[in-house]
Amino acid sequence: MTSRPSLPQGTLDLLVLRTLAAGPRHGYAIARWIEDTTTDVLRIEEGSLYPALYRMERREWISAEWARSELGKDIKLYALTAKGRAELRARTAEWGQLTEAVTKVLQA
Amino acid sequence: MNDTGSRFRGKRRQDTTPGVLDELEFHLEMQTRRFEAAGLGRAEARARALERLGNIDDVRRACRALTERMEDDVRRREWWHGLGQDLAYAMRAARKTPLFTVTALATIAIGIGASTAIFSVVNAVILQSVAYDRPGDLGVIWNSYGQAGLGEAAVAAAEFADLRERAHAFEDAAALRSQFTSVSGECGEAAGCEPERAVGYAVSPALFDLLRVRPAMGRPFVAADGAAGAPAVVLLSDAIWRRRFGADPSVVGRSIVVGATRTEIVGVLPPAVRFPDAPVGFLKNPADLWLPYDWTRNRTDGRGNQNLGVLVRLRPGLTMAQAQNDLDVIAQGFRTEFPARYAGPGINWRIKIVPLREQMVGDTRASFVLLAAAVTFVLLIACANVANLMLARGVGRRRELALRSALGASRPRLIRQLFVEAALFAAAGGLLGLALAAAGVRGLIALDPGTIPFLGRATIDLTVLIAAAVVTVATGVLIGLAPALRYSVADPHLTLADGGRAIGGSPLRRRLRSALVVGEIALAVVVLVAAGLLVRSYAALSRIPLGFEADGTAIAQIALPRARYDRAARVFAFYDDAIARLAALPGVVSVSGISPLPMSGEGWSGTLVVRGRVPVPGEPEPHAEYATALPDYFRTMRIPLLEGRDFTAADRQGAAGVVIVDRTLAERYWPGESAIGKHLRPFGPPKDDTGWSTVIGVAGHVRNGGPRKDGEPQVYIAARQWGDLGLVYVARAAGDPAPLPAAMRVAIREVDRDLPVARLALTPDVIARVVAPERFSTLLLAIFGGVALVLATVGLYGVMAFLVSQRTREIGIRLALGGRPGQVLAHLLGEGLRLAAIGIAAGLGVALALARAVRTLLFGITATDPLTYAAIAVLLLAVALVASYLPARRVLRVDPVQALAP
Repeated sequence: MTSRPSLPQGTLDLLVLRTLAAGPRHGYAIARWIEDTTTDVLRIEEGSLYPALYRMERREWISAEWARSELGKDIKLYALTAKGRAELRARTAEWGQLTEAVTKVLQA
Repeated sequence: MNDTGSRFRGKRRQDTTPGVLDELEFHLEMQTRRFEAAGLGRAEARARALERLGNIDDVRRACRALTERMEDDVRRREWWHGLGQDLAYAMRAARKTPLFTVTALATIAIGIGASTAIFSVVNAVILQSVAYDRPGDLGVIWNSYGQAGLGEAAVAAAEFADLRERAHAFEDAAALRSQFTSVSGECGEAAGCEPERAVGYAVSPALFDLLRVRPAMGRPFVAADGAAGAPAVVLLSDAIWRRRFGADPSVVGRSIVVGATRTEIVGVLPPAVRFPDAPVGFLKNPADLWLPYDWTRNRTDGRGNQNLGVLVRLRPGLTMAQAQNDLDVIAQGFRTEFPARYAGPGINWRIKIVPLREQMVGDTRASFVLLAAAVTFVLLIACANVANLMLARGVGRRRELALRSALGASRPRLIRQLFVEAALFAAAGGLLGLALAAAGVRGLIALDPGTIPFLGRATIDLTVLIAAAVVTVATGVLIGLAPALRYSVADPHLTLADGGRAIGGSPLRRRLRSALVVGEIALAVVVLVAAGLLVRSYAALSRIPLGFEADGTAIAQIALPRARYDRAARVFAFYDDAIARLAALPGVVSVSGISPLPMSGEGWSGTLVVRGRVPVPGEPEPHAEYATALPDYFRTMRIPLLEGRDFTAADRQGAAGVVIVDRTLAERYWPGESAIGKHLRPFGPPKDDTGWSTVIGVAGHVRNGGPRKDGEPQVYIAARQWGDLGLVYVARAAGDPAPLPAAMRVAIREVDRDLPVARLALTPDVIARVVAPERFSTLLLAIFGGVALVLATVGLYGVMAFLVSQRTREIGIRLALGGRPGQVLAHLLGEGLRLAAIGIAAGLGVALALARAVRTLLFGITATDPLTYAAIAVLLLAVALVASYLPARRVLRVDPVQALAP
């Protein structure tokens, strides 16, 4: 197994929010999308995705609605709320400042 | 119905939707298929998918917990949202029925306001009155001479000294004695520097340690302060510190003149300490200042010189009964040592302890408990009234409540709606009531001329606020209960199908409303009977002839300082000068001096020796009230001089001793013969045959203690043969006496310009204080009785109006079938009177059962006074008749056609 960078605290939320910015998705699709866009560098513990989704639903960053899935069963489809969109903007800006600062230090 | 909708959505999700497991199962299946597509076998693909997912149990548990919390959130939000809706709804409904709203709010505000105000007073006067640490451990010691003699006689210094040494039950004991004095010399810049009369007490230095209070500034007394030859020091009360020294913080260490002695101020006590804060036996007035004195120094004084009040604090854990046992043992010792004084025949002597609280508030407790009970009844009547109003309004809203019910609002929701309305009314009424109470407390304090101890301390404090909140919540529950009860058994389908017309008089509702109104009337009867008894008692008290005529007179009380008036000649010269100047005042027709003034709260009594009287075994020794008087006293006070002559200027020191007695004394000791020329000797035991005074006159009896007490036989001593330093000068005006007090002050100032005048007043104002507490409770109870009557009347009126409106159809049918309106009216009146009669009967029964409790407050009538009970019953019947007639007469205008129209 090759070593992969571990996910900093709270980053999963940011990734999920970003994923849902592209449109409503179910849990599996979110995991897939993250994996694909990061070309598998960031492989998340997929189980932990679900509590994160529920938590964000409780905070009303995302909303859930039931929809028929590819397998013909009802499955929860998550979508970004206005509150979630604001959260995404704030966290993206924060992330940018953080990485920029860290990069500067590392290159100094 | 928004709220019920979302509630149902919530239920569906919880019960039937796929849970976390389905979501995870879907995830696994998709992942497995992906790995299969990549070429793995089904089993291996599944294993890889599981591995990527992690611990499923953990994930599931976390998600479940989050789901549950989310559902709780939703429920809570719905509940609050519903509550908000209920509130908004209740407010809308309140606005739509302004008459109902105003009536209900006013009723609740009166109920809560009155009870809060009375609680505030009871809290100050009884509950918090003795505000010292562990007040239950504080007690007062008295010599007691059984039933016939004095129950609470003062303690001699020798007795006090023995008690301190022999008692085991007490932590310590302190003695005190009042020392009316004056303060002069330095004072604050703000205040004038006139000499001022002050209420002083000479106290054991341990007094404040016993009370567990320390000066707010300066130092407490120490034991050495009371010793002979110690520098003169004084502790000031907060009151005199503010009054005379303008609350100057640098007053400690300065010296003032107390009496005629230069004295150093060592400290100032906190505002709450005026010991004795309320009368403790003969120690009547709150202190302005305290002077330290070690009373055990006087233990060589005679044991007959009983002039001290004694305060003790029990050792922790001991009871008053144990302390009394201890005192009984000591008393037994006294009897053995001094049999002549304590153990003679007919001397039913003991030492007794009275709890300080009992001593201070015992007299006022009964009337305040009665007031508290009355105000509670008024509050209950108010609650019943509002509940009744809400039931009545419920009729008008039946359709709308039925509609809500049919649309899915559950019964608990509807009941909650009713309680929200009740709570809203209670809260708004409670706030209004609190404002009312704040004004009420000020009014109550103003109503009493300072005769009720601790009343002035009553305020709306935290305790009172908490009590008001509790009362408000109870009110909310009480007024919500009846309507809730009503709807908890109602059938909405029936109500809706009926179209909201004629079933308002459902038996349950009618019974509820009738029961409420019967209860209201019964409670009102109880309050009114109590008020009636007190009013009749007060009237009886006012009718008692006092034996003198206070109207038209004014008084000036003066305490001559012993330091300057140290010889009898000086005192008598002051009398002559003062009387001459007072008599010269314009409008004064006669003037004299007396001590003590009748009904002034001060008293003076003692034993008496009647010359030639043979002691009768079992009959108490002669005992009388004493007074010293100047000539013209009887004329000035219009006390009839029945026989003999008045004192004259010739009755002075050196001349033969003369006294004037009252008719009671003359008739008791010289029955059937003239008292004139007979001899008696005030005070002292019969030693020899000298020192007799001759009776020169017989006057009418005066009720010195006020109308409640007959008083003892009376002896007047010639003031010029006695030399009283504290005479009260009385002047009678030809016309209006109002300008007299000011003029008298000027006249006295001309005699001695350094003399403080203790008290200047119109005599009726002074003696009014004797019955002021009775007046206070009678007036308040009468007010509560009036409020109770009005509320009960409104309640009955409401029920009758309701009955009439609900029966319009029935009445229409009766009329259409040939019933005469008069008959129908009589029927309705009968209904109202029936309710009133039941209520009155129940109320009279309760009043009779409770009557014993007011017995001690009554004078001149019994607690079962038939006239009062009958008058109240008749009054309520009459009021009930009117309250029934006004709404019922509407039947006379009912048009059968309209009433029966579909």
